[in-house]
Amino acid sequence: MQCDWPLLGPLQWMRYVNKQVKVKAGKDEERRGWLLTVDPVSASLVLVDFGEEEEGGRRASVQVVMGHAVEQVEVLQEADEETTVRLQASFLPPETHSLDP
Amino acid sequence: SIPTSAACDADPELLPTEQHARSVLRESFLRCLLSMANKKIQFHMYERVKVEATFRASDIDVLNFQVSDLHTPIGVQKEALIRCQDVISFTFDA
Repeated sequence: MQCDWPLLGPLQWMRYVNKQVKVKAGKDEERRGWLLTVDPVSASLVLVDFGEEEEGGRRASVQVVMGHAVEQVEVLQEADEETTVRLQASFLPPETHSLDP
Repeated sequence: SIPTSAACDADPELLPTEQHARSVLRESFLRCLLSMANKKIQFHMYERVKVEATFRASDIDVLNFQVSDLHTPIGVQKEALIRCQDVISFTFDA
């Protein structure tokens, strides 16, 4: 992907979601991570990197690359189902239980 | 910010699909911003500048971030606005 990232639009950005991507931004800087989402307003990418699992909780480091700085985005691999679920649940609020019977 | 819908000018039938995609992506991004509030964030800016600050808020079109305790090379700025145009990327632990 060499063309102008911010101009791609939601349908094109969607094709990168849940994929492991390599993003070039700024001067020869390269970042990798699972693409959670692309902000349709600023074209910023949210990349999540799952670290080692720790007891009592999973830590993930998140990198947001600003859309205006993106030079190149390359897909490395697709996520398996477990990774997809884990990725998409990253920022969801904790489940609330309904009080209805 | 970015102009709306280019694809849909060509094909109006794509509009609902595109709007749905837009809303899914945006919701996910807003949830990410929400979870950043009051967290320590490392900003990578142009000219290899790296600064750390506590994230507070962003405006809707992601032009500025409001932060607290911005650690600059000449001292700590209690409250500050960071222009997003100056930022390449930022990282935090979820």
